[in-house]
Amino acid sequence: MNRRFGARWLLWCALLLFSGATEAAARSYPMDTMAPRSDLAELIQSVYVQVTLWDLLVLVVVIVALFLAIFWFSTRFGEPGEEPVQFHSHMGLEVAWTAGPILILVLITVPTVRAVFNTQPYHWPKEALTVRVIAHQWWWEFRYPSLGAQTANEVHIPADRMIHFELESADVIHSFWMPALGGKRDVVPGQINQITLVAKVPGEYYGQCAEFCGASHANMRFRVFVDTAEGFQRWVADQLKPPVMPASGLASEGARIYQNAPCAICHRVKGISGFSKQYEGGFRGPDLTHFAGRSTLAAGVLDNTPDNLATWIQDPQTVKPGALMPRLGLKGHELTALVAYLESLK
Amino acid sequence: MNPHEGAQALEHEHPQAPVYLAVAVVLTVLTVLEIAVFYAPFLQPVLVPLLIVLALAKFVLVAMFYMHLHYDAGVFTSLFGFPLLLALLIGASLLMLFAYLAAHLSPVIPYL
Amino acid sequence: MAAQPKEIAGQRPSYLAEGGLVGWLTTIDHKRVAVLYGLSSLFFLFVGGFEALLVRTQLAVPNNHLLSADTYNQMFTMHGTTMIFMVIMPLEIGFFANFLIPLMIGARDVAFPRINALSFWVFIFGALFMNAGWLWHALPDAGWFGYANLTERYYSPGMNIDLWDIGLLILGVSTLLSGLNFFVTIVNMRCPGMTFMRMPMFMWAMLVTTVLILLAFPALTVGLIFLFLDRFIGTHFYVAALGATPILWQHLFWIFGHPEVYIMALPAFGIISEILPVFSRKPLFGYAGMAYALVLIAFLSYGVWGHHMFSTGMGPVADATFSITSMLIAVPTGIKIFSWIATVWGGKLRMTTAMYFALAFILEFTIGGLSGVMHASPPIDLQQTDSYFIVAHFHYVLFGGMMFAILGAFFYWWPKITGRLLDEKLGRWQFWLTVIGFNGTFFPMHFLGVLGMPRRIYTYPAGMGWTFWNSFETACAYLLGVAFLIFLVNLVRSLRSEQAVGDDPWDARTLEWSVGSPPPAHNFDDIVTVRGRDAFWLMKYGSHDAPGHDSSAGARASAAHAEAGHAHVHLPAPSWYPLLFAAGLLVMGVGAMTWLRVVFLGAGLLLVSIVGMGFEYATYGQETEESRATFFRGVDSRKMGMWAFLGSECVFFACLISTYMVYKARNLGGPDAAVLDIPLTSFSTFVLLTSSLLMVLALAAIQRGDRKWSAIWLFGTAGFGLVFLGGQVYEFSKLYLVEHLAMQDNLFGQTFYTLVGTHGTHVAIGVVWLFVMAFAALKGKLQQSRSLAVEIAGLYWHFVDIVWIVIFTLVYLMRSIKEA
Repeated sequence: MNRRFGARWLLWCALLLFSGATEAAARSYPMDTMAPRSDLAELIQSVYVQVTLWDLLVLVVVIVALFLAIFWFSTRFGEPGEEPVQFHSHMGLEVAWTAGPILILVLITVPTVRAVFNTQPYHWPKEALTVRVIAHQWWWEFRYPSLGAQTANEVHIPADRMIHFELESADVIHSFWMPALGGKRDVVPGQINQITLVAKVPGEYYGQCAEFCGASHANMRFRVFVDTAEGFQRWVADQLKPPVMPASGLASEGARIYQNAPCAICHRVKGISGFSKQYEGGFRGPDLTHFAGRSTLAAGVLDNTPDNLATWIQDPQTVKPGALMPRLGLKGHELTALVAYLESLK
Repeated sequence: MNPHEGAQALEHEHPQAPVYLAVAVVLTVLTVLEIAVFYAPFLQPVLVPLLIVLALAKFVLVAMFYMHLHYDAGVFTSLFGFPLLLALLIGASLLMLFAYLAAHLSPVIPYL
Repeated sequence: MAAQPKEIAGQRPSYLAEGGLVGWLTTIDHKRVAVLYGLSSLFFLFVGGFEALLVRTQLAVPNNHLLSADTYNQMFTMHGTTMIFMVIMPLEIGFFANFLIPLMIGARDVAFPRINALSFWVFIFGALFMNAGWLWHALPDAGWFGYANLTERYYSPGMNIDLWDIGLLILGVSTLLSGLNFFVTIVNMRCPGMTFMRMPMFMWAMLVTTVLILLAFPALTVGLIFLFLDRFIGTHFYVAALGATPILWQHLFWIFGHPEVYIMALPAFGIISEILPVFSRKPLFGYAGMAYALVLIAFLSYGVWGHHMFSTGMGPVADATFSITSMLIAVPTGIKIFSWIATVWGGKLRMTTAMYFALAFILEFTIGGLSGVMHASPPIDLQQTDSYFIVAHFHYVLFGGMMFAILGAFFYWWPKITGRLLDEKLGRWQFWLTVIGFNGTFFPMHFLGVLGMPRRIYTYPAGMGWTFWNSFETACAYLLGVAFLIFLVNLVRSLRSEQAVGDDPWDARTLEWSVGSPPPAHNFDDIVTVRGRDAFWLMKYGSHDAPGHDSSAGARASAAHAEAGHAHVHLPAPSWYPLLFAAGLLVMGVGAMTWLRVVFLGAGLLLVSIVGMGFEYATYGQETEESRATFFRGVDSRKMGMWAFLGSECVFFACLISTYMVYKARNLGGPDAAVLDIPLTSFSTFVLLTSSLLMVLALAAIQRGDRKWSAIWLFGTAGFGLVFLGGQVYEFSKLYLVEHLAMQDNLFGQTFYTLVGTHGTHVAIGVVWLFVMAFAALKGKLQQSRSLAVEIAGLYWHFVDIVWIVIFTLVYLMRSIKEA
């Protein structure tokens, strides 16, 4: 009875493991913390692996000792027999299990402390590219002070060049996390935190706010595009271009709607709308100058398609509860035109 | 057994008025010294250490004599001393942590 | 409410014998208070579990919108807050420790029975206050850690955070008083022969826990007071305007928060250290090492709070330091784990449900501890923190550790508490379902953390590789829910069963098993004298080497125990004041959120109940002269309580003073410390010093029996206190009217007024106290034998004085030092 139950349980576990494995094989893990693609993430992973191995060793020791104790000594129950020996201390043993962990901790501490000092440099080379990250409830603003470019929710960085992220918050505490490129750093209002790293492999990486920041904390995602040096140059050049004003058709109608609707109060399209002199610290809503060039909208919540954009404009609160963007009440033709305009902003 | 027997073993007689008066005189003198130090221009460079020493002296006097730590059971001294030590450690750590914050992550005025 | 001591002699009715609603409302018997705690925490256990299941249901599939973002945030916040403050702490401290401390150390009750009842009523009102949010869909929603500045009025305009802030302040009062009470009880009320090194390990754990409570909660209180001022008065303690920083909250919160982890963990360690030896029939291995490990853990726990803040950018030096201290905690924890295994080793294991839970605890807690070592390393922490890895870690600690210990404790001590056994068969079902459900729910969270799933997200997209494990976890969470339903059935069935259990069903080792099940109201007929560790085992078997299974030996011991004749036991009379006190606190909390005049009503209730209790207590103190003779360890409990309270106040003022110094240096504009009036405060300083002199003169007078002069000096002390307060009122008015410095204006203003104002409040309380005392002296109610009352008031008064010595130096005399 018991054995059959055990066998069924095992089978069940195997099935689960199998389906888990299929999922693992079939899918990618865009937020995987164990797939380092930068020098910082690699350094972290090396410490991570070392500590995990020591942990596993200790765990195995505990499990073996505990289960041996249970299986050897509980079987005697019920048998008439002598009382167990009432021993209550053993100096040698106690010294051993005090000294052993201390030794392991020393072995863990050395790489840890080294990594702590290596990952938080006070100085970085002049040629490092500075990216200002400004966190808002619930989206990300990115600025390149040395290039004059800015974007939102999708940051591009060149590979093999030192990047220096400066983290600022416009409201509450957020946390800037790109698992593949390194650990997170909190974005704290009133101070500027730093992350310094060299991305090694070009590609698209996911990121997400990791510190609870209010109603839509779950909807504060972003993408990191690590470009080749040339690719990055091209991207920057595109970003610096003014947007093309649509001459006619639906899109030009949409441009008029954009300018007349409240959109322009919070969002900027360079040269067309928004404040001539930009705020010192950022905008209330993402910069839309090159909106159509992004792959997602609403901070990584939806794919950037006309349909999704229409959904978002119609009812931002359903997509992102608590978002500051109001319901504008645009319908039918107006909405289509506005979407067409925004999607023309390559 | 007399309930107060144990008490007397551990709690020595508290001092009487003359001791208290003497302590009061010393406390007054120390306070006068503190204020004098504060107003003396030539002592400004060593103001902080001097004031700390004087305040410490007053603190210890009140604790030892007015609060009878000098006379009472040692358990009270540790009951007070350990938290005090901990409080000092926490305070000192906070000051150092915020000093780092001020020095390296200079305060920014937010804009929104 | 008149204090009529009850006389108990002859028979030994159980503490549950006398029923009646009034009896329960006014009870001050530690066992009844414990039962009240137990029932309420069990209720909250199911509330918190319901919240957890809602959270898990929401996460079962990607893009789920079953709960709105808002509701989800309220649920996870309340799940954490409820489980920590209303389930684990009250179950361990309020229920088990409360019930067992006096029984284990051979005392008749805790040191301050009224304060014990008061703690419970304050606890239940605080918990209900916070849960009132259910009625308006306005439960707290910023996480149990409530990180500023999200909790500020601007970002959280609703009443949610108000409920949380005030509710936690109220709960804090309850916990602090319990801590104080149990600390004094364990230090001072042990029966003859019960030295520290003979105490059951659970008592060691509770002793250390109470010290942690006393020295950790003040930091939370300070943080919550700042938050309260920010939200209600408009100060800027945590707003990044005017140079302040929300990081201050994190420091204050975690100075409390990390010791808090051990406030929950150490009692569990103690419980396990009781269960394992009994069911292994062997003494606890490495007793001394275990005790020292507890002390070491507690001490280290104050130096590690920064490991919750590695990602905030404290700098490499702080990161490295906090990392090393955090890892060091693994050493004493390792000692405990290996000693538990060694306790089991070579024993004769009786595999009861309690033993199952205790053994499972060792493994689950080890997993939690080891993952803790991982994020003690800052680089790893930067990947793991705020991800599901952390959720896995602390559930292995809090559930796999604390909750397993609590469940084990239920199976172990339930017979003592109710006189009924819990069903072993149902227990076994519950155990296996719990183990499978628990590990199935929380172990995959490690994977999710590694796969980068952040915490506290109400929804997640498909295609992140998180779906499978989330669905799996939700299924297992429901299994866990079933396990707890079985537990509930088991509890109810056991209460309804008729089958009584003997005094010592487990052949146990500690004193609580030497009395009836359930124990009589007065616990022990005669005060026991203890000859060694495992006192009851020694009584039964005469030595640590048990002479086989001789059950008659046990019977003989308890028979001898019963025959020794009963002294007349005076028990303190029940009282309404604890309930009144708690009601006053609740009314104040409600008033803070509604109308100011209600606050004054609450304060009035508070004052009446405190004074009432004070006079009740004085009578009690006299009546039990006889029992004090037995328990007396050379010092009076009340005096020790006052000193422990003052120790706690040290941490309280340290947090206030360091905030002042930090913010003074960050002050950005407006009046600063240069406006402080040195001549005026020098005068105030002399006034306060003189009042201290008068205070000791009053004490000296009463000690030599001079009532007249004692009254005169007391009035003098209070009068000088009034003069000091007058000076402060003058100073504040001048700052406000002449310097135009309001509390909200700048960092200097808010911290100065808060620090000096808090000190002033202490002075004001002292003045009221002294006047009450002085009038008592005038009416001849303060005899020589009551000199202790004056001494205790004096301790408080002198403490206020030495705090002023510090403030006068740091705030006033060093006013021009920028980095002071």
